[in-house]
Amino acid sequence: MDSIDLAHLQQRVRWAYELGRMRRALLGVAPVLVIAAVAACVAQRPMSTVWFGLATAAAGAAMLWYGRDPQKAVLPGIAAGLVPLVLALCANQMHVCGPDGCSSLCVPACTLGGVVAGLAVAAVGNQRRAGIWFWFSASSLALLTGAMGCACIGYSGIVGLGIGFAVGAVPGLLRRAFAKKAS
Amino acid sequence: MGTDPNTLDALMARLADGDRGVFARVFELLWGPIHRLCVSLLKNDADASDAAQEAMHKILERASDYDKMRPAMPWAMALAAWECRTLTRKHTRRRETEAPIDELGGEHPEEAFVQRDLTAAAIAALGDLSEGDRETLVAAFWDEAASVSGATLRKRRERALTRFRKTWRRLYGLD
Repeated sequence: MDSIDLAHLQQRVRWAYELGRMRRALLGVAPVLVIAAVAACVAQRPMSTVWFGLATAAAGAAMLWYGRDPQKAVLPGIAAGLVPLVLALCANQMHVCGPDGCSSLCVPACTLGGVVAGLAVAAVGNQRRAGIWFWFSASSLALLTGAMGCACIGYSGIVGLGIGFAVGAVPGLLRRAFAKKAS
Repeated sequence: MGTDPNTLDALMARLADGDRGVFARVFELLWGPIHRLCVSLLKNDADASDAAQEAMHKILERASDYDKMRPAMPWAMALAAWECRTLTRKHTRRRETEAPIDELGGEHPEEAFVQRDLTAAAIAALGDLSEGDRETLVAAFWDEAASVSGATLRKRRERALTRFRKTWRRLYGLD
């Protein structure tokens, strides 16, 4: 046993542990790439969708690799972000025409989707009494996932998504903050 | 064994969650028992060290997949036993284990030879069992208290032993 350099072995094994986590993380975000590919096929601006999809996958992989609160935020964050994504992709296929001409439903759909996503993240965060890193990670992933569809008419869709998300999430966040203070 | 399984279970669960702060402690808790298991199965210090290092590599590489509902030590032991089996098979294939009987040393080299063959055969038979059965038998061998105890553990051990005997009979044609 003396002939084994345990410090070196521990270092090697630690590296294997990190690689194992990385492999698992990459497998875990594979569905995000599928979602991004499908969304890019449907979206009007596929390049934006692809870039946001890659950013979502990279952020998700980093969170899964890191573990702890960010890891637990991946599924709720992406699931919440699917609401604005689907709404925006559906809104892409229709428009409303009035006396001043026709307009896309993308921004309202993104704002509404953002509100729902914000409420969902807040509900899960409060239910789990999660820490700040959960909130931050889940919110980032929800916004990035939603942005895959909300880039439909440029950055106004993403701004709409962000405002909607804040409207949905802030009350839950405040409730948690006050509950913490009261206890 | 000197290792509190509950502590190891809790630490493994934390490591699976990504808490790197417990890595060194988990390594310390696992290394001794894994190395001893490999020595007892392979009866050769050099091979045992190789197998134990490879086993530690595999165990911690798969630490993120660790199921928190199962006791950690039998899970790790089963992986180590599997590694010993792989090494034994590799050696058998390369005929590296075919040392002359007189090189085995000791007062009764023939007995040592038979013992070594029996161990290799047992490891091979163990490898044909399910992961659950392997864990149960390895835990029983090391007297590891799993998460279950009393009648449940006894029944599980009996069932695993019955399947082990069947596998033995199928592989070697005798009891």
